[in-house]
Amino acid sequence: MKFDPRKLRKTVLDMAYFGSTAHIGCALSIIELLSVLYENHLKYPGNDPDNKNRDYFLLSKGHGIMAQYACMRELGWLCDNDFLSYFSNGSDLKGLSDSRIPGIEVTSGSLGHGLSVGVGLAMGAKLHKTEQKTYVLVGDGEINEGPIWEGALFASHHKLRNFMVIIDENGLQAMGDTKDIMELGSIQSKFESFGFESMTIDGHNEVEIDEAIIKLWKGDKNKPKALIAKTIKGKGVSFMENDNSWHYTRLNQESYQQALSLINKNNL
Amino acid sequence: MRDTLSDELVRLGKKDVRILLLTGDHGYSLFDDFRRECPAQYINAGIAEQNMVGVAAGLARSGFRPIVYGLSAFVPIRVLEQIKLDVAHDHLPIVFIGDGAGFVYSHLGTSHQSTEDIACSRVIPNLSVYSPADRYELTHCLNTAYYEKSAVYLRVGKSDRGDVHQSMPSIKCGDLVKVKTVKGSKYSFIATGSMVRTAIDIADRFPNNIDVWSVPFIKPISFSMVKNICQNSKAIVVFEEHSKFGGLGSLVSEIASASYPVRILQIAVNDSFSKKCGTYDYLLQEHGLDSATVYKKIHNFFLDI
Repeated sequence: MKFDPRKLRKTVLDMAYFGSTAHIGCALSIIELLSVLYENHLKYPGNDPDNKNRDYFLLSKGHGIMAQYACMRELGWLCDNDFLSYFSNGSDLKGLSDSRIPGIEVTSGSLGHGLSVGVGLAMGAKLHKTEQKTYVLVGDGEINEGPIWEGALFASHHKLRNFMVIIDENGLQAMGDTKDIMELGSIQSKFESFGFESMTIDGHNEVEIDEAIIKLWKGDKNKPKALIAKTIKGKGVSFMENDNSWHYTRLNQESYQQALSLINKNNL
Repeated sequence: MRDTLSDELVRLGKKDVRILLLTGDHGYSLFDDFRRECPAQYINAGIAEQNMVGVAAGLARSGFRPIVYGLSAFVPIRVLEQIKLDVAHDHLPIVFIGDGAGFVYSHLGTSHQSTEDIACSRVIPNLSVYSPADRYELTHCLNTAYYEKSAVYLRVGKSDRGDVHQSMPSIKCGDLVKVKTVKGSKYSFIATGSMVRTAIDIADRFPNNIDVWSVPFIKPISFSMVKNICQNSKAIVVFEEHSKFGGLGSLVSEIASASYPVRILQIAVNDSFSKKCGTYDYLLQEHGLDSATVYKKIHNFFLDI
């Protein structure tokens, strides 16, 4: 099925406005990454998020969960009522990822967990000799966390060629620029030095994303993969782009309407 | 007890190929037999415990039955959040073996000593906590853990204190097991792990009638059995090689206060880290858990009843 990034962004804005929630910018930066993954790469036999032969997608940066919810709605795994009731008392969808929702593999928000769980899933698939692939999406701020690098060593040591980490490099974390808080240097060379095969691409260019994923899987059969996606936090809503206050600011009626009109107007 | 642990791991590994033993580069000769008998089921995950638990969660989700081994100072303490979020939250059937609990590593200092692990683990939903006293209880606990549908923390403390049972006790998960019984007893000792031996030895030195109970299952624990002991005891002494906060003493007190209040003396570790280096017995003395000090505390307690 086709995913329309503009529609996904609208869903994110609707949830954020009607649920009066934060973490908008970090959802908007991963829209194209998710739409390409769900559209072209992730296999869910029978469109069943619990199918035991599925590929695994773990959103380790749980703060971007509204983008994943938006995709799950397109897939029919969530219904309109889930969205209309977002953040109301007794509703199921939380503000960070929760593995009890079919289609969500990991409970995140406490950062640095998803990569290790994904590595375990990839190792399980290798031991079972299946063709399942595991994708873990982490934030660039998230890779401050130590277990990310423990897991990277482990994936490389065990030659988990069925494992791909995607880094959403939007250059911002909760309290500011990543370069000011914890300088990351070249993320690509870091993962390469840990034994990964890697590429850096424009994380909003769907063709580039798609081609890079295909190329990485066709590459070295002994290495796990790292895809570094250069993105813009708040992408698609000009007044949110690279403005870190949209990590925690909530929409009001005026800013919501303005954001919607910008999405409709922009040629994303 | 360690030979039994090795034998039981091999037995389970050979019985079920889904079992994977993960260690954070600890265990040394404990795993010689397992590595020889089940080489494909052994993973040394390196000195990276947080990742090890996450990987175990992924493996459990793929249908494997991971057994994660570490020193109890690291598993569960260092990896508590991974156990909470990656494992317990999703009812994953993983057995965590925390070895060397209490003051086993007496010469190595605070980093390797573990007297807060029961308190930290028993507050996590979907996580059971077992604390065997001898090789019979260890076998029982490990097998019970294997059949559990959710995660289990298996606390293994000082392992050379001898058997407290003559044979495998016939109990079910959650039961306390009586290891010394006296007709018409008026007092009860309740102990877990290494301190069951201490409780039995000290009970022999008092003229009072004392029942001694071992607690291999801290969570779940039979509320009704503990309530019954409270009802039938003039006073209770609880023994554990663990902090007085949040462990077995706290648990018994919680049940007593909710069911049948009775005077309880806690023989446990005070709110302090070890100050000095020394043998296991020396450290017990520093923390007031040696026989002489424990005897004195109980003697004074009985006088006050």
